[in-house]
Amino acid sequence: MVTETNTHVSAIKIEDLTVAYRDKPVLWDVDLDVPAGVLMAVSGPNGAGKTTLIKSILGLIKPVAGQVQVFGMSYRQNRKTVAYVPQKSSVDWDFPTDVLDVVLMGRYGHLGWIKRPGKKDKDLAKEALDKVGMLHLSYRQINQLSGGQKQRVFLARALVQDAMVYLMDEPFQGIDAVTERTIIGLLKELRSLGKTVLVVHHDLQTVKEYFDRIALLNIRLIVAGAVDDIFTDENLKKTYGGLKTF
Amino acid sequence: MLGEIFSDYTLRTVSIGSAVVGACGAVIGSFAVLRRQSLVGDALTHSALPGIVLAFIVTGSKDISVLLTGAFISAFIGAAFMRFIIKNTQIKEDTSLGIVLSVFFGLGIVLLTYVQKQPDATQAGLETFLFGQAATIMQRDVVFMSVVMLVILGVVFTFWKEFKLLVFDAEYGQSSGFNMRYMDILLTVLMVLAIVLGLQTVGVVLMSAMVVAPAASARQWTDKMGIMVLLSAVFGAFSAVIGAVVSSLYTKLPTGPVIVVVLSSVVFVSLVLSPRRGIFWQLVKYEKNKRALRLEATLAALRELSMQHEDKCHGHEECVLRVMKSEGAPLGKTLRLLSQKGWATEVTRGKWAITEEGLKEADKFLHLIKDNNQ
Amino acid sequence: MTTPQVEVLLIAVMVAACCSLPGVFLVLRGEAMATDAISHSILFGIVIAFLIVKDISSPFLLVGAALTGVLMVAIVEIITNTKLVREDASIGLVFPFLFSVGVILIAKKIGNVHIDTDAVLLGEIAFAPFDRLVIYGYDLGPKALYVLSGIFILNVLFITIFYKELKLSTFDPGLSTTLGFPSKVIHYCLMAIASLTAVGAFDAVGVVLVVALMIVPAAASYLLVEKLYLMIVVSLIIALVSSVSGFFIATQMDISIAGTISVTAGLCFVGIFFFAPRRGIIFLIAKKTRQKLDFAHLMLLVHISNHEKLQERYNENNVREIYKHLNWERIYTSTVIHMAINRGTVVDNKGVLSLSNKGKQHVIETIMK
Repeated sequence: MVTETNTHVSAIKIEDLTVAYRDKPVLWDVDLDVPAGVLMAVSGPNGAGKTTLIKSILGLIKPVAGQVQVFGMSYRQNRKTVAYVPQKSSVDWDFPTDVLDVVLMGRYGHLGWIKRPGKKDKDLAKEALDKVGMLHLSYRQINQLSGGQKQRVFLARALVQDAMVYLMDEPFQGIDAVTERTIIGLLKELRSLGKTVLVVHHDLQTVKEYFDRIALLNIRLIVAGAVDDIFTDENLKKTYGGLKTF
Repeated sequence: MLGEIFSDYTLRTVSIGSAVVGACGAVIGSFAVLRRQSLVGDALTHSALPGIVLAFIVTGSKDISVLLTGAFISAFIGAAFMRFIIKNTQIKEDTSLGIVLSVFFGLGIVLLTYVQKQPDATQAGLETFLFGQAATIMQRDVVFMSVVMLVILGVVFTFWKEFKLLVFDAEYGQSSGFNMRYMDILLTVLMVLAIVLGLQTVGVVLMSAMVVAPAASARQWTDKMGIMVLLSAVFGAFSAVIGAVVSSLYTKLPTGPVIVVVLSSVVFVSLVLSPRRGIFWQLVKYEKNKRALRLEATLAALRELSMQHEDKCHGHEECVLRVMKSEGAPLGKTLRLLSQKGWATEVTRGKWAITEEGLKEADKFLHLIKDNNQ
Repeated sequence: MTTPQVEVLLIAVMVAACCSLPGVFLVLRGEAMATDAISHSILFGIVIAFLIVKDISSPFLLVGAALTGVLMVAIVEIITNTKLVREDASIGLVFPFLFSVGVILIAKKIGNVHIDTDAVLLGEIAFAPFDRLVIYGYDLGPKALYVLSGIFILNVLFITIFYKELKLSTFDPGLSTTLGFPSKVIHYCLMAIASLTAVGAFDAVGVVLVVALMIVPAAASYLLVEKLYLMIVVSLIIALVSSVSGFFIATQMDISIAGTISVTAGLCFVGIFFFAPRRGIIFLIAKKTRQKLDFAHLMLLVHISNHEKLQERYNENNVREIYKHLNWERIYTSTVIHMAINRGTVVDNKGVLSLSNKGKQHVIETIMK
């Protein structure tokens, strides 16, 4: 394992994070440092705590021990620098609203309580929709979207948050090839703009192609670092218990 | 009858009061239905009953604001109890609703029978809260109700954006810095308020329908949340007024059930006839799709047959086509439609061949199918 | 106690016993609110059947009304399948309608003859002994008692004969269907049984309190025991206890018997909710405090083992620094460290903590299992 030089800026710094549901630990003493400006995958078997990790960073789950810092501050203090893309199955797509409206929700965090989105927010939302190739569907009812389109809407919503850090929970799950290419293109673009992207990722085949860093998780953090260094058969065996090899 | 409403003082009061009740229940109901909490309303209304009777026992007053305050408190305790059970045990939400609903209602009935045994007759009329009696609405009640309505609508309007987040994607809302637990509690308070307001008119037993039915109907007519809430309010107010007026015109006819019957017809029309979503239009679309699919399948079969022959115009027996499509659908009709479109011709009687035009068409959609499979 | 009083008590006990049996399965399947929907819908069937046969205790009425319950379940399923509204909403649409039509018919057509709108909600258990079964001039007791006994036997038969199928389809509907016991068929059978029971109980306790008797004992016993057959037995016992105590309290205070029974059932639930061994609130709180310390101990061990590499341990595993890394209170941390040292899992080596062999063993056992 390559030790990090201490000169880099950490976008996310997780220290000794332990999370438990009732008395069952889901994450055990995880230490993870995500340097700013990287595109990092979080992989591991089902039930490894990947989603829990993302949610703990966002302060959605209260840990039993440990802490998470975003650019050296707590999430609460620094939440405007973080954008979140949940699993698309987490919401009811029969909800009566259209694409633009969902994307506008990305502006709510900046607006704060009570204030409504205005023209500026709408323009930003449309810009983001254009980036994901969905501008022509701005007024489409959300239940008429395909899986890939739904994912693009969520991505656009995160884009209008105009954040420094993007947390994404399985954005490549159940989408078409075109959308997958669009999304990875955008993620790489975000990285080139100096943003940090952390992605829960299942498909080990594409790790080398898509990401520069990876964290292998199975309740404990098995290993984290540059894909070239640590994405090895041995580490995968440690993570997946020998069930899966690359 | 419309003229009667405006000339008759009592009827006018009753109508306005009912409209307020209907609109409030319907607005808050929209959120409940979208959150899949339709039956929570049922549990909350039932748990309001002991509060009404206790408020009377404690104060001796039958003033509507006093009774409804009691109802509010006990319904809120019911809601808190439900959460407490779900949070601390393995009991499912459904069961905790049932427990709160039936036990609180049982307590209400016990208190009601206790009050009724008292020698003085001041308690008379409390039982109208079971099925509702719109005729008991007084003018000062209407004022009280309108104030509550303004509060409810004001809060909904003010926190519109936050409520939308809560209903659509609460976790995302939380991550955007909005405390969704507060919003959840606020919505529960509003729901209890709206429900309690309707108890006098619609009654404990059926108020839940006032929450679910207008919202479920409105959802069918629109894909926008704002319009859904407005439309729901209109449906709710309309049904409540009709129900209240009808029940006032007949003796011994409780208001709640009449309103529910009116609401149910609105629901029925919405589910069946609403454009795009309605069952009727769905069936029409389904038939259309089926016909298009039949056309394509037959055309594909003809195309395949024509590939096997040098002579493109060689006719093929209907029975061969039937076997290839392996279905007993009306083949004759489909073939006639094809020939009308100029995609197939009947070479000799009962023998069919694909045309040039038809070949092009078949290629077009066969490619399409391939694209989708990729 | 007078004879009619004994008869009322017997009826109350039988109603509670009948209801608690199907209730167990409804609670386990997460279909508790179906009882509310069923009990309201059967009013429609009772009224229609009464208008036809003109006899409130006719077996035709019993069956006819029970069928409305099943019909309601089917309508809800049809509406849900259109995907226009969710299941909870479609339940909330169907049963109020059927119930309302029933109430209107009673108010306009039947009046006070046999059922009135108040009795619909309260039940008339006190009047049940007046409707007697008389054969060849012999008075054999209240009819309701026979009807309820019949329903009870049917419920017991249903549950014992189809015990295996009910159990399987409750815990794994998919597996049940693939093994040849279609969970849908079992679902409808259960709904039919629940409907019939609700119709039988309607006269005595009205539409809402049926729900209390079906769900509350079952939910209480769910907190008490873990085996299915035990759950059935315990919920039967709770139903009996609440019906008997409810009866005596109600007659003493001259209040609604049915209402009191549901309140006593509720009190049983609350008592069990707080005091049940293993699942009661008080027990859970005690357990949580204990577990929290155990868990903290383990967390400490894991933390130490994760940072035992030379260069970090002086910082990460330092007695005075470790609370910062774990984000714990300082005092709490020292309590946990003391506990660990006492248990012999951690060794304090000049201010730097490390695991003893026992501690290492402990970490491996819990993490690797």
